[in-house]
Amino acid sequence: MVAFRNTDPAGRTTGLLLRCVLYSLLALCLIIVDKRYDHLGKIRRVLSIVAYPVQIAVASPFEGWDWFRESVTTRDALRADKTKLEGELRVAQFRLQRYEALEAESQRLRALRDSTAAITDRFVIGNIMDLDLDPFRERVLVDKGAQDGVFVGQAVLDSGGVFGQVARVGQLTAEVILLSDATHAIPVQVNRNGLRTVAVGTGDMGRLKLPYLPTSADVVAGDLLVTSGLGGGFPAGYPVGTVADVKRDPAASLADVDVKPAAALDRSRELMFVWLKPQAAAPAKGAAPPAPQPSPPPSPGQTPAKQASEPPKAARVAPLPRADQP
Amino acid sequence: MMREARIRRMPMALSALVALALAVLPIPTVLQAFRPDFLVLVVFYWSIESPRAGGLTLAFMAGLALDVIQGVVLGQHALALTLMAGWATHLRLRIRVFSVLSQCLTIFALLTGYQFVLFWVDGATGNPVTAFGRWLAPVIGALLWPVLNALLGRVHER
Repeated sequence: MVAFRNTDPAGRTTGLLLRCVLYSLLALCLIIVDKRYDHLGKIRRVLSIVAYPVQIAVASPFEGWDWFRESVTTRDALRADKTKLEGELRVAQFRLQRYEALEAESQRLRALRDSTAAITDRFVIGNIMDLDLDPFRERVLVDKGAQDGVFVGQAVLDSGGVFGQVARVGQLTAEVILLSDATHAIPVQVNRNGLRTVAVGTGDMGRLKLPYLPTSADVVAGDLLVTSGLGGGFPAGYPVGTVADVKRDPAASLADVDVKPAAALDRSRELMFVWLKPQAAAPAKGAAPPAPQPSPPPSPGQTPAKQASEPPKAARVAPLPRADQP
Repeated sequence: MMREARIRRMPMALSALVALALAVLPIPTVLQAFRPDFLVLVVFYWSIESPRAGGLTLAFMAGLALDVIQGVVLGQHALALTLMAGWATHLRLRIRVFSVLSQCLTIFALLTGYQFVLFWVDGATGNPVTAFGRWLAPVIGALLWPVLNALLGRVHER
């Protein structure tokens, strides 16, 4: 009966069209303003607070279930865990023994070369919220936001290595774009020989690609890739992944290199947000410009300042292969 | 009449909220491409059944909520939902007398239109998602429509 009262075709249609056009124009304006200008950050931040209860409501049952499972684990399981962790701690401490000395030495050598890589200053741990965002973009929501000092472009690590970077910050939450997102690129270096290139995501959480290496490049399966620190967004020297497969097609000028990410992109629950230590010698680096390098700059000394203004999404501009030494 | 309008808005808001929660509910990665656009279907339902209660406003708001919660360009889902809800409202008298199959096909067309607007905005803002998987959601959504229609119909009757 409700339906019958509303059927007033002549009167409704014009009103409908008008409202439809008005709302669409409003939405279009929002899109353009959000894309072109940076004024909507505040609005979005407020809206994200409104969305927070929904996100919490969805995520909390799953977190509750995890908590429940954790609290009913048996003594044996806990003991086994403890033994394993103690073993890992021992190995880690053993590795750490020389770390301080090595870092000091590395600093000294870098000072000699007048090149400084940004060094991590402090961490904040965040938990991934149990939410699915867009199924076709590799992003996660983390329960740390602007009020914890998280900023756009900030490097995010997990226990295995580099996880991604902050794409968007809300008041209480932050959206992290994964290394494996098809629009993400990160400047890396082959640990064995220092060969610099860019690792880009494929949209598949278990795979990255090095699309800009010539077929003659010295890279073999098993090579460890670490962040090069170029561009300043990511701290240098953190593992990004290992080369899984190198295909060299003699007819192609570029090699086809697959990389397995070091971070557990599909399994991690806890992430570390990293702040880089500001360094007097490198004015452009300390401020931690957000975007990853679309192409490796020819020398570590020059960091294009314009990078800072680009959002990470737009970072993947086809870099030229020439920047890599064969 | 005023009171009736208020009564009608409550299930509308509630169902939209539930659908919004379903839109971000964690499911296994393999199934993610198959997740139907629940909120879109709910908005279509209300646009068709009671457009007076503010189907377009609901569509715009729901779209904004999706934008914020999914972290895409603000206004993307709002634009797509407004356009398609407007179309659904325009077709509502016909849809109501359609057979189930025709209803499903119409909903499929609307959902595809919705995805297309999203696709277009994605492309225009330099973020194209070319994965074929995104065109699966309209199929699933259309198949789900009769069930959702019956379910929301019962909520609506109360």
